[in-house]
Amino acid sequence: MAAEHAAVAHDPNIGCTGLDHRKMGMWAFLGSECMFFGSLIGTYLAYKGKSINGPGPHEILNIPLTSLSAFVLLMSSLLMVLALAAVQRNDMKWGKIWLFTTALFGAGFVGFQIFEFTHFVHLGLTLQTNLFGSTFFVLTGFHGAHVTGGVIWLLSLWVLALRGRLGPQDSLKVEICGLYWHFVDIVWIAIFTLIYLIP
Amino acid sequence: MDSSHAAPAAAHAPGGGHATVQTYIRVAVVLGLLTAIEIGALYVPGIPSRALVALLLVFSVLKFGLVVAFFMHLRYDNKLLTVLFVGPLIIAMAIILAIMALFGAYILLARG
Repeated sequence: MAAEHAAVAHDPNIGCTGLDHRKMGMWAFLGSECMFFGSLIGTYLAYKGKSINGPGPHEILNIPLTSLSAFVLLMSSLLMVLALAAVQRNDMKWGKIWLFTTALFGAGFVGFQIFEFTHFVHLGLTLQTNLFGSTFFVLTGFHGAHVTGGVIWLLSLWVLALRGRLGPQDSLKVEICGLYWHFVDIVWIAIFTLIYLIP
Repeated sequence: MDSSHAAPAAAHAPGGGHATVQTYIRVAVVLGLLTAIEIGALYVPGIPSRALVALLLVFSVLKFGLVVAFFMHLRYDNKLLTVLFVGPLIIAMAIILAIMALFGAYILLARG
C-alpha cells in the first residue's frame, strides 16, 4: 500500500489534484471547444431566417439522410467505449476491432457530410450564397474537420495496437481519444437538433 | 463479443472508474430510441410547433447528458473534471443566448 502511494506520488503525470494532468488537460480543452462551438451555433441561430435569397434550410436539408449519419456517429460512441473496455481488460484482439470500426463509422459520417456538401453546392448553396450558407457550412464544416481529426487519431491508435505498442498500460491514451470522440458526438447531437430537426 | 469479457466497474486511474459493457450497451439502446422518437415526431401531423421544439430540445439534452455521464465517465469521475467541463458549457450557453438576444431572441422558434 505504501509502495502504491509512493508510485503515485512519483508519477510525473499525477498532479497535486490526484488526477492525471493529461486527462485534466483534455477536459479543459473540451471546455474551450464548448465555447467555440457555442459561438458558431449562436451565430447560426441568430441569422436563422434572415437570408434575403434562397435556398433556405427547409428547401435543401435532407432529414432522412442526416438522421442516418447522426445514428452512425452516435453508435460510433458505443464502439469507442467498447474499444476502451477491451484495452483495459487486455483483450487487444477486440480492442483493435473496436478501434478500427469506430474509425470506420467516423469516416462514414465524414463521407455522408462530403456527399451532403457536394449536393448542396450543386443545388446552388455555397459559402457565399446567403447567411444560411455561410453559417451552415462554417458550423458543420468545423464539426466535420473535428471528426476527421478524430478518425486520424483513432487510426493512429489502431496502428499502434497492430504493432503491439498499445496495451492496458496505455488505456489512458485510448480514454483521452475517447473523450474527444464523444465530444464530437455530443456537438453533433446539438447541431442535429438545432439545425436539422427544429423546423 | 463475448459478454463474459465484460469490463469490471473498476477504477483505472486516480479518481476515475467506468461503467460495465452492459451499461454501455443499455445507454446506446436508449440513445437510439430517443433519436428514433425525435425523428418520428417530425412526421406526426398536428403536433404544435412549440411542443415539437420543446420535445426535441429535451430529448437532445437527455442524449447529451447520457453520453457525458456514461460514455465520458463523468458520473464516475472526479468532480473537478465535471467543473472543468460544465463551467465552460454554461458560458457557451450564455454565449448562444447573448448572440441570439443581440440579433433577435425569437429566431429559434421562427420557421425559415
